[in-house]
Amino acid sequence: MSDHAPAIKLEAPPVELERERLVSNNRDLGEISDQICDVMERPTPLWWKICMVPALLLLSMLGAMVAYLVTVGVGVWGNQHPVMWGWAIINFVWWIGIGHAGTLISAILFLLRQKWRTSINRASEAMTIFAVMCAGVYPLIHVGRIWYGWWLFPIPNSNDIWPQFRSPLMWDVFAVSTYFTVSVLFWYMGLIPDLAVMRDRCKKFFGKFAYGLFSLGWSGSNRHWRNYEKAYLILAGLSTPLVLSVHSIVSLDFAVSQLPGWHTTIFPPYFVAGAVFSGFGMVLTLLIPLRTVCKLQDIITVRHIELCCKVTLTTGCIVGYAYFMEVFIAWYSGSSYEKYAFWNRAFGPYWWGYWAMIGCNVVVPQFFWLKSVRTNLWVVFFLSILVNVGMWFERFVIVVTTLAREFIPANWGYFNPSPVDIMTYLGTFGLFFTMFLLFLRFLPMIAISEVKAVVPQADPHHPLGGAEEGGHH
Amino acid sequence: MNKSESIKATRATGPKYWRSLDHLADAPEFRKWVDHEFPSGAEAVTDPVTRRNFMKLMSASFLFAGLGMSGCRRPEEKIIPFARQPLDYIHGKAKHFASAMPTRTGAIPLLVKQDDGRPTKVEGNDSHPDSNGGTNSFAQASVLNLYDPDRATRFARNGDRVDREDALEAIRKVADAAAAKRGKGLHILADHSESPTRDRMRDRLLKQLPEAKWYEYEAIDHDVHRRAATVAFGHSVKPYYQLDEAEVILTLDCDFIGSEEESTLLMSKFAKGRKSDPEHPKMNRLYSVEALFTLTGAAADHRLRLPASAVHRVAAEIAAKVLSDPHFEKPEMAAIKDALVAHGGASGVDSGWISGCADDLKRHAGKCVVIAGQGQPEAAHLIAHAMNTALGNIGKTVQLLPVPARKGGSIGDLVNSLKSAEVDSLVILGGNPAYDAPADLDFVNAMEDAGEVIRLGYYEDESAPKNGWSLPAAHYLESWGDVRTADGTLTPVQPLLAPLFAGMTQIELLARLAKDAVFAPYDLVRETFKGVVGGKNENAWKRFLHDGFLADSAPSALTRVRLMADRVASGVRAANKLPVLGGNDYEVVFHPDSKVDDGRYNNNGWLQETPDPITKLTWDNAVLMSPATANKLGLDNMKGYRDGVHDKLYKESDGEVADFHDGEHNYAERGEFHPEVIELTLGGRKIQGPAWVVPGMADNVFGVALGYGRGYASESKGGTGRVGDGAGFNAYELRGADSLKHAVGVKVSRTGKRYQLASTQEHGTIDGRSLIREMNFDKFADKDSEYADFAKGMNMPHPPGMEELPNHGLAYENPLDELRKNATHSWGMAIDMSACLGCNACALACQSENNVPIVGKDQVTKGREMSWLRMDRYFSGDVNNPQMSHQVMVCQHCEAAPCENVCPVNATTHDDEGLNLMIYNRCVGTRYCSNNCPYKVRRFNYFDYNRRPLNDLYNSPANPWNRKDGEWELTRWVEDRSRGNVDDDQWDLLALARNPSVSVRMRGVMEKCTYCIQRIEGAKIAQKVKAGASGNVEVPDGTIKTACQQACPAEAIAFGNIDDPESKVSKLKAQARDYDVLDYLATRPRTTYLGRVRNPNPDMPDYRDTPETFKEWKAHGNHLAHHGHGHGDSHGHDSDHGHDDDHDKEHGEQAGKGGHH
Repeated sequence: MSDHAPAIKLEAPPVELERERLVSNNRDLGEISDQICDVMERPTPLWWKICMVPALLLLSMLGAMVAYLVTVGVGVWGNQHPVMWGWAIINFVWWIGIGHAGTLISAILFLLRQKWRTSINRASEAMTIFAVMCAGVYPLIHVGRIWYGWWLFPIPNSNDIWPQFRSPLMWDVFAVSTYFTVSVLFWYMGLIPDLAVMRDRCKKFFGKFAYGLFSLGWSGSNRHWRNYEKAYLILAGLSTPLVLSVHSIVSLDFAVSQLPGWHTTIFPPYFVAGAVFSGFGMVLTLLIPLRTVCKLQDIITVRHIELCCKVTLTTGCIVGYAYFMEVFIAWYSGSSYEKYAFWNRAFGPYWWGYWAMIGCNVVVPQFFWLKSVRTNLWVVFFLSILVNVGMWFERFVIVVTTLAREFIPANWGYFNPSPVDIMTYLGTFGLFFTMFLLFLRFLPMIAISEVKAVVPQADPHHPLGGAEEGGHH
Repeated sequence: MNKSESIKATRATGPKYWRSLDHLADAPEFRKWVDHEFPSGAEAVTDPVTRRNFMKLMSASFLFAGLGMSGCRRPEEKIIPFARQPLDYIHGKAKHFASAMPTRTGAIPLLVKQDDGRPTKVEGNDSHPDSNGGTNSFAQASVLNLYDPDRATRFARNGDRVDREDALEAIRKVADAAAAKRGKGLHILADHSESPTRDRMRDRLLKQLPEAKWYEYEAIDHDVHRRAATVAFGHSVKPYYQLDEAEVILTLDCDFIGSEEESTLLMSKFAKGRKSDPEHPKMNRLYSVEALFTLTGAAADHRLRLPASAVHRVAAEIAAKVLSDPHFEKPEMAAIKDALVAHGGASGVDSGWISGCADDLKRHAGKCVVIAGQGQPEAAHLIAHAMNTALGNIGKTVQLLPVPARKGGSIGDLVNSLKSAEVDSLVILGGNPAYDAPADLDFVNAMEDAGEVIRLGYYEDESAPKNGWSLPAAHYLESWGDVRTADGTLTPVQPLLAPLFAGMTQIELLARLAKDAVFAPYDLVRETFKGVVGGKNENAWKRFLHDGFLADSAPSALTRVRLMADRVASGVRAANKLPVLGGNDYEVVFHPDSKVDDGRYNNNGWLQETPDPITKLTWDNAVLMSPATANKLGLDNMKGYRDGVHDKLYKESDGEVADFHDGEHNYAERGEFHPEVIELTLGGRKIQGPAWVVPGMADNVFGVALGYGRGYASESKGGTGRVGDGAGFNAYELRGADSLKHAVGVKVSRTGKRYQLASTQEHGTIDGRSLIREMNFDKFADKDSEYADFAKGMNMPHPPGMEELPNHGLAYENPLDELRKNATHSWGMAIDMSACLGCNACALACQSENNVPIVGKDQVTKGREMSWLRMDRYFSGDVNNPQMSHQVMVCQHCEAAPCENVCPVNATTHDDEGLNLMIYNRCVGTRYCSNNCPYKVRRFNYFDYNRRPLNDLYNSPANPWNRKDGEWELTRWVEDRSRGNVDDDQWDLLALARNPSVSVRMRGVMEKCTYCIQRIEGAKIAQKVKAGASGNVEVPDGTIKTACQQACPAEAIAFGNIDDPESKVSKLKAQARDYDVLDYLATRPRTTYLGRVRNPNPDMPDYRDTPETFKEWKAHGNHLAHHGHGHGDSHGHDSDHGHDDDHDKEHGEQAGKGGHH
């Protein structure tokens, strides 16, 4: 290709106007492939083994806890009267919320042509899927009679009894399962070209066979690319409303009921913002160490981290606004029950949960206004963990403090988690990290083809693009 | 000698539950029948090895009881197997038999429901002249005692099992030996009983054996009423209080709603005077002087908290005021007056209270009553009698009924005889003296001085002798007997089944000791009956058994009695020497427990888990004390967790409303009750117990409930059963012969240790919410006052614009409205909070009727108790002297039920008659319904409470080390999925206590009050059968009574068809006092409440112009709304006003329109 000059050649923009490159150090396409595939092709790294051991242990603990729960009863948790939902629902909502960043990055940012998404979307989508899996564990096991859990699905039966379609829990079933299905499809769709790359690079028979099987005969032909791009666009379009709908519907579990503190119309947007907030927090938590251990600093750059911080800041402010608005409306409603619910959150026996939430979700993101903070990865990593802690407390505040003290004072109670609650929660981390580590080891954690598409070398019209300046060597 | 007697009861293996059924099971006819009826289960029934066959056999026990005519038990005591079904036996159809539960001073007349030969539920016998059909919690729970696996099930000698024949032989020997010595050396200790047959047997025995000695002892002596009346009036009489005729009632430490033995009766009469007829409002007034905060104090319009030792002084002061009034001054009572004047005056009570109360009594002379409590010394009773006599109440509100005099010595006399080695044979009839005798008598050791002890007891407990024989006593539901109720009516005690464990009755034992030829209890009771009715009595006897009482057998009250003024005066003077609590001393009050009484119900799980009405404690007793006393002792469970909003609102309100959070328990707020253990010392005796603060108790007083602190009987010491093991501390160890009721001079010290308690209610104040609506009578009765409509006036005003909506201010149409048009009935309930006295009878009735499981102390601490019916208790006002309010909370059966639309599987739905149905089979247990229930009346089965022992709930059935009877639990489960992991002996018995009409819920499902749907459906089916072609399927009003309604002695609960304007429930709902709890949620509950009316006296110094809950509600910025008056625009709330009563009028107008229509 080097024998003819490009037809049109744009002037290079002035240096001060040039955006920071999405892939730094001017890596060329081959190097990108090598870098990303290296994670899978190297002998199993030590850090991976070190991480896998506790992950598997925690996963076994989850299995043991679920077995114990199923054989003995929900009473092994701390749930009680009146707090009938405890950590199970908190963790369900928390994990679902975490999932949101992946879909937002892969679908919405795709539609909005945010090219920086390419470096992080694959891992984020994987995170979404695994988080939804963790979340999905809870609704299944939290019911009293797990063996009848299938009654929640609209399966025709001889008794002609259908699920109750007015129940938000029913909507949850549909919302979460749709979300999971579409997320998996979307993720897999995006993986196909990369699986083909892996197929082509793999030297072992089994790997070749497996990657070959799942790459569905991808040859990189134009026809394939055209179909792929269309399908990807369609799935992005399908996923986009799901980003908004899933957590909206999860929020309806609360908003549709009539407890003071739950029964508010602000919940759907506020939950979505919170979900994106926590999702980006988790993306940061995962990617900051990953880019180092996997030596992907060129592809996941500090600019990516900064952009994630900005999204976190934005959604954090939305969440903070929602907190304020809840309190305002409670006061404005004139209902003493509403007023009490919010006073109780802040100053009741669970005050620590409320202030942990405010501190982590409203105060912490404000640090992201500072570029010095955004670019200091240690600080960002620490703050991103606080964001996730804060969002856990948000769900705790919503679920527990509301139920513990609502209408009739004689009913008031105080919820204490049981060790089984805590160990089940830790166990879901085992599930999450086991899945994630397997993903890192066997699937390209960065969308190779997409990253290649956003480097200047891929664009023949780009001043830096084409073969002349760092294209194919 | 009858047939069953002749059958030798021994067998090589297995328990001998009863003998004749073994024979029965062997009979070829029966086998054939079983083979036919239960083809697959036939082997199990005849297999003698398995203990489980017991249960199957039980289901065949209808053979005993199902043979008779409906309502009258077949009198022959023969057991005849049938090859064909008897004519009147319908499998699965319950029968009811009249009986009675004997109490210390009488009995509670009962109708007992029998399902296939096993009694499952007791209800009051409302046709009995001395009953309105109400019962108490003990009667309701007594069914469980019958099936208590830990009851005495065997004859034993020195703790080892013996054959029944050997024990009978031993009795015969004792009888022979006594007969030889004219009874010398035979000493009998009995509990209190009102059984004419027992009296007759006693008299006959003592006549035959004149040297034999008879003693009577009750740990909680209710006999003081009778003793004092006998002293005061010179005849052997007992007072019978007609509280329904009294307009003013003064109680002197008399908890007639709780610890008095005749509380059921007294409550029913008292409540009559509390129910205000809307047309002619009228209400009695209750003054209560008491040390503890009791239910009587909670019901009182004026409550004076005083140490128990000071009560008689105040009584004397009030009496002095009455007796020195020229109106009531009688020359013959001058001596009393002088004694009173000398006696009183030192109480330090506000003289305004004394004179206000005395004036009110005087104004209602002849229509008032003064009652002293069982815990008070005789002097207080004498003073009360003096007042009643002076005020002309005798023969009106106080009837003096002639009663046979009590005979026999005291337990102290017995101990003296024992110590002087006079006792060859000690016979103990009932009671548990080794546990509950005064500690200083050291009865346990004294018992060993007897040559031989024969003890007839319901448990092999502390009193089971180590030097003698232990005989199992029969439960009253399995024994023949008779009893006189409080008014003296002769009442039968009929068995509902043959004794499960060959238990014996007291009368039988007495007959055997007297070497009587006849000792079958049935024959003995008939003999007594013959003595009453005379000659030919077959029809009268049948009628007696059928009705459950002998009509007109009550003695008529004495009319011409004279107060023995000199005796009363000397009694009062003697009381002058009684110690009275000084400023820095402490007093201890021993009171019967609301759950275990004196300890006799210690092993009853239903009662143990029923929260105490005041403290809301389960499974334990505690050292109760006032907030000030706790502060003085520096007990940190008084340092309150400070609740922001609460403090703030209260600080803004007028200072009179105390900040209750200062009095809230720190640990309580966090659901953890770990109060400090304190030690009480009295006369060298010590006990330790956890401190518990009860607002409103008298200062410097410790209340300790008796009946706890018993170890498991299998340990060497002897004790209670598996249920009561380890519950609470034993207060008897502190109680001496001179301090049976209360004692001054107790020393207290802190131990620094903590003890976990399980309370079902963590927050004790209502926080200004309009859940409980109360008003004073004078304000309410004034029709022109805005307060007349207080109940609806406390509804939350609708937001502006809502009124214009088509559905009465609701945004949506109620789908039930359409369904209701075609429904035959619309069920609803009304609960009159003026009548409800908080006694818990309803809670126990519900538990018994609906197979509600118990969950154990550990689960209660986690808030997982299963009670469908909850008694919410709130304190309001000054923490030192608050008002208490109760609210029965059951499923409200909301028309727009929030629980229904959130269930994802349709497990809770509505029927067209307005019932909120719970379909257990469909429930998967998401618990969302409970979360969305604003009343929080749904309970979730967190564990398999019905199939696992409470100490094994957390054990997984898959755990391979989890073995029971040598079998892995999973294997057991595969073999018999209904059995679970309960010990077989427990399982067999507890299964029998269950109501077969109500499903037993498994783990993982939600359950709740159903309005006793089994009763509703039963009545509907019966009505359909009756209606036949006529098509009149509407169940007449009053046919259906829910279990709670039936048990309520105060008749506070009405249930019925609200579409029938003539039904009782409709009439109640039509009253102005009717309101919805949480009206603003528009759930349209079918259960509504009638606001409580209090009737304080404006002349009293402690008069509160409005009830404290109302004040609190107002302090939260609320105003009474007018209804249907069409006032002008609705105004916003103006927070500058509203804490001052003077502004009420203005605010009433401002609040504008709003609320319900």
